[in-house]
Amino acid sequence: MWKDIQGRETGRIRSNSFANRFKSRRISSLQLSNRKDFVSPHRGSINSLQVDLTEGRYLLSGASDASAAVFDVQRATDYEASGVIAKHKCLFTVDKQHENGHKFAISSAIWYPIDTGLFITGSSDHYIKVWDTNTAQAVVDFKMPGKVYRTAMSSLAMSHTLIAAGTEDVQVRLCDIASGAFAHTLSGHRDGVMSVEWSTSSEWVLYTGGCDGAIRFWDIRRAGCFRVLDQSVTQLGVRPPILKHMAVSKKVSAAKSSLGGQNRLKTLQSKHTSSQIIKGSSSAKASVEKSRQKRLHPGMLSMLDRATAHYGVVTGLKATNDGMYLLSSGSDSRIRLWDIESGCNTLLNFETGRIQTNKAIQLATSDDPALVFVPCMKTVKALDMWSGRTTLMLRGHYENVNTCCFNSTDQDLYTSGADRQILVWSPGGSMEGEMVQDEVAEDKDNWSD
Amino acid sequence: MSVWNYVVTAQKPTCVSHDCVGNFTSPQELNLIVAKCTRIEIHLLTPQGVQTILDVPLYGRIATLELFRPHGEAQDLLFITIERYKFCVLQWDSESSELVTRAMGDVSDRIGLPTDNDQIGIIDPDCRLIGLHLYDGLFKVIPFDNKGQLKEAFNIRLEELQVLDIKFLYGCTRPTIAVLYQDIKDARHVKTYEVSLKEDFVKGPWSQNNLDYGADLLIPVPQPLCGVLIIGEETIVYCSANAFKAIQIRPCITKAYGRVDIDGSRYLLGDHAGLLHLLVITHEKEKVTGLKIELLGETSIASSISYLDNAVAFVGSSYGDSQLIKLNTQPDAKGSYVEILESYVNLGPIVGLCVLDLERQGQGQVVTCSGAYKDGSLRIVRSGIGINEQASVELQEDEMEETEIEGFLSEVQTLFCHDAVYNQLVQVTSNSVRLVSSTTRELRNKWDAPAGFTVNVATSNASQIGDGTLTEVKHVLLEYEVSCIDMNPIGDNPNYSQLAAVGMWTDITVRIFVLPDLTLITKEQLGGEIIPRSVLLCAFEGISYLLCALGDGHLLNFHATHVFAASDRPAVIYSNNKKLVYSNVNLKEVSHLCPFNSAAFPDSLAIAREGELTIGTINDIQKLHIRTIPVGEHARRICHQKQSRTFAICSVRNHPSAEESEMHFVRLLDDQTFDFLSTYPLDAFEYGCSILSCSFTDDKNAYYCVGTAYVLPKENGPTKGRILVFIVEEGRLQLIAEKETEGAVYSLNAFNGKLLAAINQKIQLYKWMVRDGGTRELQSECGHHGHILALFVQTRGDFIAGGDLMKSISFLIYKHEEGAIEERTRDYNANWISALEILDDDTYLGADSCYNLFTVKKNSEGPTEEERASMEVVGEYHLGEFVNRFRHGSLVMRMPDSETGQIPTLIFGTVNGVIGVMASLPQEQYAFLEKLQTSLRKVIKGVGGLSHEQWRSFTNEKRTAEARNFLDGDLIESFLDLSRSKMEEISKGMDVQVEELCKRVEELIRLH
Repeated sequence: MWKDIQGRETGRIRSNSFANRFKSRRISSLQLSNRKDFVSPHRGSINSLQVDLTEGRYLLSGASDASAAVFDVQRATDYEASGVIAKHKCLFTVDKQHENGHKFAISSAIWYPIDTGLFITGSSDHYIKVWDTNTAQAVVDFKMPGKVYRTAMSSLAMSHTLIAAGTEDVQVRLCDIASGAFAHTLSGHRDGVMSVEWSTSSEWVLYTGGCDGAIRFWDIRRAGCFRVLDQSVTQLGVRPPILKHMAVSKKVSAAKSSLGGQNRLKTLQSKHTSSQIIKGSSSAKASVEKSRQKRLHPGMLSMLDRATAHYGVVTGLKATNDGMYLLSSGSDSRIRLWDIESGCNTLLNFETGRIQTNKAIQLATSDDPALVFVPCMKTVKALDMWSGRTTLMLRGHYENVNTCCFNSTDQDLYTSGADRQILVWSPGGSMEGEMVQDEVAEDKDNWSD
Repeated sequence: MSVWNYVVTAQKPTCVSHDCVGNFTSPQELNLIVAKCTRIEIHLLTPQGVQTILDVPLYGRIATLELFRPHGEAQDLLFITIERYKFCVLQWDSESSELVTRAMGDVSDRIGLPTDNDQIGIIDPDCRLIGLHLYDGLFKVIPFDNKGQLKEAFNIRLEELQVLDIKFLYGCTRPTIAVLYQDIKDARHVKTYEVSLKEDFVKGPWSQNNLDYGADLLIPVPQPLCGVLIIGEETIVYCSANAFKAIQIRPCITKAYGRVDIDGSRYLLGDHAGLLHLLVITHEKEKVTGLKIELLGETSIASSISYLDNAVAFVGSSYGDSQLIKLNTQPDAKGSYVEILESYVNLGPIVGLCVLDLERQGQGQVVTCSGAYKDGSLRIVRSGIGINEQASVELQEDEMEETEIEGFLSEVQTLFCHDAVYNQLVQVTSNSVRLVSSTTRELRNKWDAPAGFTVNVATSNASQIGDGTLTEVKHVLLEYEVSCIDMNPIGDNPNYSQLAAVGMWTDITVRIFVLPDLTLITKEQLGGEIIPRSVLLCAFEGISYLLCALGDGHLLNFHATHVFAASDRPAVIYSNNKKLVYSNVNLKEVSHLCPFNSAAFPDSLAIAREGELTIGTINDIQKLHIRTIPVGEHARRICHQKQSRTFAICSVRNHPSAEESEMHFVRLLDDQTFDFLSTYPLDAFEYGCSILSCSFTDDKNAYYCVGTAYVLPKENGPTKGRILVFIVEEGRLQLIAEKETEGAVYSLNAFNGKLLAAINQKIQLYKWMVRDGGTRELQSECGHHGHILALFVQTRGDFIAGGDLMKSISFLIYKHEEGAIEERTRDYNANWISALEILDDDTYLGADSCYNLFTVKKNSEGPTEEERASMEVVGEYHLGEFVNRFRHGSLVMRMPDSETGQIPTLIFGTVNGVIGVMASLPQEQYAFLEKLQTSLRKVIKGVGGLSHEQWRSFTNEKRTAEARNFLDGDLIESFLDLSRSKMEEISKGMDVQVEELCKRVEELIRLH
C-alpha cells in the first residue's frame, strides 16, 4: 500500500489506476461489517435497496410491510460500544400509517436519478408513487393494471423522466413523472414482467425480463421490441472464460463480434478554425439498429419472438457499468452474461447454486474487480464476471436474501432479505485477505449448457 | 486566507512526458517537439544546437503526441490527444509562427470503462487511419479520406481486456495493428488484426503467445524489414509474419525508445535505471538474421527518447533532468559512449517541499525533494534577479599582479578610492585626500585633514572634482560622528550632486545637506539603536529616494531603476509602477561591488566576494533560480530545524539491479552548505513516511520526529511502524526515543506541545513524558478512528484537519478537559486527497487525485445540527496537476507598504515539477479579475481549439462542475503578452483603461 502511495506521489502509478487498485483490494476483502449497522424499521421482507446516484449517501429501502425508509450511510445517528459501532437509524419512513402510504408490500423503491429530492415506490397495491423526500409526501401516483414487480429510471436520461414499470400485466408501462401520465406501453411479453433495467449507454434503451423467460430490448422511441435474447444463440470464443495459452489465437479466430457500433463517437464541432471537422451524432440508436439490420422488425418472426433467455422466470437484470454486458438471473438458478451489442449468450458458467425462484431479486456489480453479487438463498455470492468463479461467500442473513446493492464510493455492499435486516459488508479492517483464487485444473470444462 | 483564490504557476512543468522529431515548421527544418504535461515546446535543430521556437500551454493534460504526414503534405502535422477525451491536429503556420488547428474533436464514449493503463493514440504509417485505445474493450478508429482529411470515427470491439500496447505495423496492404495484452492469468501475448473498412477486425497475419512476463512495449519496425520488436524485462523478441528472433538481456524495465535509422535497424532503449542501450537488428537485405544489444552509457531515467541527427539524441525524463546527448563512436575513460551536451532542469516529481525564510524577509526559499531513484535531488528555489556571471577571478595573492601607484599613500589605510574625471583617481586616508593622475600615476593634489580630525568615511562622485585641484569648499562640525555618507547625483544634472546624505552615530539620524555650502535641510530620526551603515541618494522613475541600510539588515527608504545592496544577502532594489520592489539576487555574501562598464563587459557589475572577483550583468526580470543538490538517491520528505540550522530528509537508495533491495535512511544536512552531516539507517523493509521538527511541552530542545512503516513483502497494508525521536547534537542525529505503532505513520504534526500522528485508519495523539531515570518517551494520549487511510493531517490551534485517502476532508477538535479527539464535521464527497492545507479557521483546501483543487468551509454558525455537521464545498477548480504538498509562504519578499504584501499566499509542488502559488484575494479584487478572466477567455483561443472553461472545470469520475472561487492566474497574466489592439478590445469590454488593467495585472505578477 505504502509503495503504491509512493508510486502515486512520483507519478509512477497513474492516480486513476492507483484508485482502482486500492478499491479492488478493498472489494476483495468484503466482510460483514463490525463498524456499521443499519437499524431496520421494517417488519417484513426487504425487497429493494438503492443508494442515491448523486451523492452516494442515502440508502432507500422498500419492504413487504408496505414501508419504505431512507438512511444516511455516511453519518451515523449514534454510536455503540464506545464509539466503535456506528448505528444508522433511518432518517424517516413512509408506511401504512402514512396518509399516502401503500397498502401492500413495496416491491421496488428507487431514487430519482438526478437528485435526492424525489423517490419512487412500486407496490403490490397496484400503485406507483412518487415521493418528495423533504416533505415525505406522495406528489404523483400511477395506478397500474396489477401488482408492481419492479420500477426503474434511466441514470443517463437527459431528455425524459420516465419510470419503466414491470407488473403482473404483460405490458411494460412507461410512466412520465413530468406529466403524471403513461407515456407508452411496450407489448411483447407473454406473462408478467419481473425485472426492468435501463441501458447504461443509451437513455432510450430498456431491457425487460418476463415471467415468460424472455429478455426483451426496447428502444422507447420506436414501436415494438428490437431484440429478444435467445439462450441458444451463443458466441463461442468471444470471451473464453479461461484461455489455454497455446490455443488462444485459434479459438479466437473462430468468431468475431460483429460489433458495428459506428456512431458512438461524439464529436464536438470545432467552431474556431477553418479546419476540417469530424461530424458525428451522439445517438447510440444507429449502432443498435444497424447491427440488427432489417431482419428484426416490430412484427418479428414468431420463431425469434419466442426465444427464451432462461427456463422459467427472469427474476433479475443488471447492466454492467461499461454498457457492454447484461447479467440476468432466472428461476432456473442460472446467471447469464449477455453481450449487449450482439445479443449473444456468452455461455459463462457462474457457480451460483440455488437461486430464489418465486421472487424478483436484485443483482449488483462492481467494476474492478468485475464481480457480480448474487443472492443465493441465504448467502450472497460474489462471482467473477470473467471466470464465473466464486470469489466471496457472504454468509450472515438468517433467511433468503432478496437484494444486493453495491455502493461504489465506499466499496460497501448492502444486502437485505426476508429476515428484515439490512446487512453491511465492508472491506476488511487491514486490507488483508487478498482474493485467493483457487486454481482449478485447467482442463476442467467451464462451459455451461 | 479566504475563499477567493488566485492560482498561478511560478515554475512551469518541467517533466518531459513525450517527445518526437520531424519536419514540423518547414519541410527542410528538423524539429524536436517536447510535451511537458500541459505544455508543448517546439524546438528547431540548428548547427549551434537546439533552439526553442515556441512554448505554449495546452488546455489539457497531454496523453499522446505523434507527428505524421498525410499524403500530399510537404511537412508533418502534430496529432495530440488529451486525457479528457479530446484530440487535435495542429499545423505550423510559418507566416504568423503560430499553431493552427487543422482538426479537433471529442472522442469520449458512453460505453466502456476508462482504461487503467496509459491511453494510446497511434497513426497508421501510411496515414490511412488514426487508432485510439481509451476505454477497455474498445479500439476507436478515425479514418483519413484520400485528401488526408479525417472522416467519421467508429469503434471496434477489442476482446483483450488488459491491453498494454498497440502499434500499427509497417508495410501492410491494409492497416494492421499489433496488440500486446495480458490475459486473466497474467500471461502476455501479441496478436495482430487488420482493420477492415467494414468497421471490424480481421485476424492479422501472425500472433505470438506466452511472451516475457514483463513485456510492456512494442516497437514497429519500418520497411523493408517490417514486423515488430517486443521489449520484455528479460528478453527482446523480433516478430513478423515470417521471422522470430529473440535475445536475452540483462533484467531491466525499458521505459523509452528512439529509432536511430530510417530503415529501423537500430534503436536506442532507455531503462528504469537510466542506462542507455543500442539495439541492432542484423539483417541480410530484407531478412532479419538476429538481434544485438549494447550498453552505451548512463543518462537520466528516460521517459522518452528522440534521436535527432548526427549522433545527437534528446532524452526526455520525468524523474531527472532531461538531456541532450551525443553518442560517440569511441568510449570515454569510463567506458561510456554517451556525452551529455546539455541538461534541462527538471524539478519533478516534487514529493516533498519545505518553505523557509532564513533571513526573515518574508521571502520563502523553497527546498524541494525532486527527482526519483538515482536522479533524486534537493532543489533550492528562490525568486530573484539573476546575475549572469560573465567572468570570475579567484583572488589569490600570487596570481594578482600588483601595480604600484606612486601618487598613493601606502603607509596608512585607505578608506575610499574612486576614479574621477580628467583621468584622475581619488584616495582618501584617515588624514588626507589625494588626487592622483591615472595616466602618470603621480600625485596631482593633496588635502590634509586639520589636526585633531581624522577622516572616518568619505565619498565622492566622479564629476565634482576639479582638474588637478582639491579645495576645501566647506567644513561643518556636527555634534556626533558620521557613520556613512553619500552624494550620488540625483536631480536634473546627472553629473552634479546638490545634496549630501549623512548617517550619524549616537543620535541615529540621517541628515541631508545642500551642497556646496553644507546647510542642513532635513534631519530624520531613525529610532531604535541600530546605526545606519550605508546611505544612498537615488532616483527611480523621477522620484528621489534616500535609502538607508541599518546594521541589523533593515533597509529604510525615505520618500524619496536598480540599486544593488551588498550584504551577506544581496538584493536588487528597483521601482515598478512608482513602488519600490526588493528582489533577491542569486549571489552569496557580497562584500563590495561597483558598476563596471568596459568594452568587453558592457553595463556590468564588478562584485567582490571573499576570495573572488566576479563580473556579471543583471537580468531584467525577476525569476526563479534553482540550485540543484544531487542526492544520488530518492529524497522523499524534508523538514528544516531552525535551532540546529539543519535539514533532515527521509531518503531511499535503490540498488540498480533489483527493485526489491532498497535501503532507507534519515539524513541530516547543513542548511547552508547542504553537506551530509549524519545518517541514521532504518531497519530492513522500514520506510520513512513522515518527518517533523518540533518541541514538546516542558522541554526546550528541538527534536526531529520521523514516522516510519514496515512494508513487508506479501503484506498489503503496513501493520507496524515506528515514531523515532532524534535530537541534533554536535551535528549528529541522536536517537532519544522510539515508539512502536500499529501501522504506517503517514503524517506527523506538532500539536499543543504534543505529537499528533496519522497511523493507518487512526489519528493518534502522543505526549512527551519524562521517566524516572530522566529518559523520555512518547506516551499515547488519545486517538480517533474512522478513516479509510488518514494520509494527511494539518493542525491549527486545537483544530485538526484530516485528509483521507478516499473520503475527502474531515474536521476534528481536541478537547482539553476530556483529553479526547472528536470529529465535528466532514465533507461527504468522495474526494481522493493528495494534499491538504488549512486556509483559516473555517476554510480548508484540498487537492485530489483527479487533479482538482477544492475548498470546503465548515458551517459553524448553521442553524441546525445537520448543517453544522457538514462542510460546504465553496470552491472548485481543475488544476490539471497532481499536487503533493501545500505550504504556507511566499516566493517573493513581502514589503509592508505594497498592496500585494497583504495578500496571503501558499506554495505547492506537483508531480510534473510545477511550483505554484495560490493567493487569497479580497473579494473586490477577485470580482474584478473574474471579469477580466471571462473577457480573456473570449480573446485568447486555446491551442487546438480546446476550451479554457472546460479545462478549468472541476471534474472527477462522478461529475463535472464549472470552476468557482478560483481564478486561473496563468490566463490572467497572459494579458500582458497580448497585442495592444487585443488589450484595447478587453479594455473596452470591461470599461477599464488599458493602463489600469496592466497595472493591476502587474501587481499580481509580483506575487510570484
